[in-house]
This record gives sequence, structure tokens and C-alpha cells, in this order.
Amino acid sequence: MTELDDIEALAAEYVLGTLSREERLTVAERRAADKALDRAIAAWEKRLSPMIETVTPVAPSPNLYNKIRAQIGLSQHVISLKAREQQLARRASRWRNAFVGVSAIAASAIGILGYREVLHQQMPTQYVAVLQTGADKPAFLLTVDTKTNMSVITAVNAPQRAAKSYEVWLVNDKLPKPKSLGVMKEGDMHVMPMAPGPDTDMFMQASFAVSLEPEGGSPTGTPTGPVLFTGKLIQATP
Amino acid sequence: MPAPAPKLDQLLAAVARGDETAFAQLYQATSSKLLGVALRILKNREVAEEVLQEAYFKVWERAGDYNSTIAAPVTWMAAIVRNRALDEARRRVIRSTGNENELENVESEDEHPIAALERAEDVERLMRCLDGLEPDRKQMVRLAYLDGMSREALAKRFDRPEGTIKTWLHRSLAQLRGCLEQ
Repeated sequence: MTELDDIEALAAEYVLGTLSREERLTVAERRAADKALDRAIAAWEKRLSPMIETVTPVAPSPNLYNKIRAQIGLSQHVISLKAREQQLARRASRWRNAFVGVSAIAASAIGILGYREVLHQQMPTQYVAVLQTGADKPAFLLTVDTKTNMSVITAVNAPQRAAKSYEVWLVNDKLPKPKSLGVMKEGDMHVMPMAPGPDTDMFMQASFAVSLEPEGGSPTGTPTGPVLFTGKLIQATP
Repeated sequence: MPAPAPKLDQLLAAVARGDETAFAQLYQATSSKLLGVALRILKNREVAEEVLQEAYFKVWERAGDYNSTIAAPVTWMAAIVRNRALDEARRRVIRSTGNENELENVESEDEHPIAALERAEDVERLMRCLDGLEPDRKQMVRLAYLDGMSREALAKRFDRPEGTIKTWLHRSLAQLRGCLEQ
């Protein structure tokens, strides 16, 4: 019997499951760059996994598959809309350039030097996400104001559905699953203060989605119903 | 007799191409076993199902990364489920005693033998090698792998310092590796 070297011992205990939380996190991070460790882990997974055949199978709840499908549907919806959003963002960028062009003419009238300050004082940068399907009327509007550091979600056109609620989600690759921003009905307005920092960066990069959930919102904390609308923030003012 | 079910590696290859029917079949064939695995570690059905949901979402997203020359499909999927379950267990600090018999769970009525059939020999070999360990070492390995007991939990259960447990585990694992390579 050969003793385990350091890498083998670490890989074996990682797979066996005996490491502490901190040790597990370290190994999970290290294996991405350390090919030898990654190979050792795969080898131990192969050695030990036949043990799961001794585990009694337990049937999942009938609804679990639907939840998984909903989560997949949500991610695909977001992916398929990314191209369209990029197109929208390019269009917005053209508008912005046109706006800057017009502003420059105005600026020459009041003097170039003072202009930028005037602009900054008077006009906070605003971002907007329009959550809609196709060419329909906007259904949900999300705006972010960088001067007041407030974001506001407004339900513009959200017809009441019997025993159902609309739930707004933040979707970002950095999150393990969509994060709920709350349940909304027609005319609702949710105001959220935003502190500068990583959360805000994530918010600005995120996609937003609205799903139809049982009354009161998703019972599981992830979207379970059909995704009705998605969108991403685009810069609306300079 | 119905047509033989597609093998799991074929299903995974189809899932990698975005085939939703294949994903449903893969779920049908493996979810009861994998929920059993998550539940043994987490001792909580709701949390175990959440972990399973995330794991299958990951399977859908990462099916293209699956490499059949490195691992059997069940091994690859079980690793995803176990890693998520163990991380969650450590986060929640589930101090398993390994004595929970009160779990009242509906046993699956479905028979999904394909996972087992594909590697009956591997199972038989591992069981033989586990039987070669001292009884308490064998129990320790099973409590760790199947019930998610940490070194710390094992130290309490076997009333030994963690350092001793670590040494025993390393020796047992080295012995297992030697036996499996024969």
C-alpha cells in the first residue's frame, strides 16, 4: 500500500466529503488552475462513486422537473434576447451621439467651459430597461438614476390575472440563481435605493425578467411560472 | 418488451446539443437516485430538492463539458450533486450523527436500473475493497461519503482527535486505491 501524497490526500478527502467549508472552497478554487489536482479529483470521483448505488432512491416531488424547466427556459429566454438587447443598445448609442451633437451646438452658445458642469448638475445619468414582449406596449419599466442612486420599477401594463402574481427577477451569471426583486401588480411602483459597490455593478450588468407566479409570488424562491418579459438596462441620458 | 433505453452518455451528448426530450429522459433515469444521494447528506427534503434543481440546471448548462473518457455519466452527475450538497451542508453546518433513521421519504417506485447496469462491475469491485477495510474504517468511509460527515463530526462520533481521524482516513483511502488498482 502506497501512502497518499499531498495532492492525492487533498483530492481524496475533497471527494470523500470530510473537508471543512473553508478547505472545500480552497480546493474548488485551486482545481480550476491546478490540472494535477483536478485530475486527482476526477480519479477519486471515479473510484468512490459506485458507492451511491447503495443509496435508496427517493422520488422527487412531481413539480421539481417543471421548476428545472422553468429555470432553463428563463436562462434561454435571456440568452435569446441578448442579441436583440445589444441591437437596442447600439440604437440607443446612436441616439445618444445625436443628442451629444445637438448639445454641442447648444454648448457653443453658452461657452464650452461651463457646459459640462451645467450638464452634470442638471442631468443625472439615467438608465432604463423596458420589459416587454415583441412590439407590445411596455409592461414593466425599470429606471436607474445615478444622481439620486435610486432605481424604480413600475408596472405599466400588467393586467390582473386571477390567482396569479407578477414577480420581477434579476438574472446575472454571477448569481447561482435568479434573485427576486419583488411581486408586483398593475400600477405598483417599487423604489430601491442603490449604494455604489459590487452589488450595483452586478445590477447594472444584469438582465431583468418578469414571470407569472402563484398569487403572492414564487413558493420556491426561483421562477416557477412562464417568463413573460425580459430586458436589460441601457443608458438613456449621457 | 420496450425498446432499450438510450444510454446515459448518449442522452448527455443530446442534452449538450440542446435536446429537451433527452434532458427529460436523463432526469427520469437519474433523479430518484441523485435525490437519494442529496437527501442522505442534507437530511432535509426541501433543501435537497433545491440542490437537485440547481444541479440539473448545471447539467443542462455544462453537458457540453462532459468528457466520457474521464468519467461515466452517473459519476459526473453525482459529483455535481454531491459537491453542491456538501457545500450546502457545510454552509448550514449540518452536524450529522449518521444515526438518522427518522427520515420518512417515499421510496421511488420507478425502476431505473440503467445507471446500475452500466457499472455493475465497478460497484462489485468497490464493495469488495471496502470489505477489506477494518469494520470501523469502512463505516467511517461510508459515513463520510454517503452521509457527508466531516472530519470534525467523525471525530465526535468515534471519540478520537481529528488528527487521528485524518490519519485513519488517509490510510483507508490509500488501501482502497491500492485494492481498486489490482
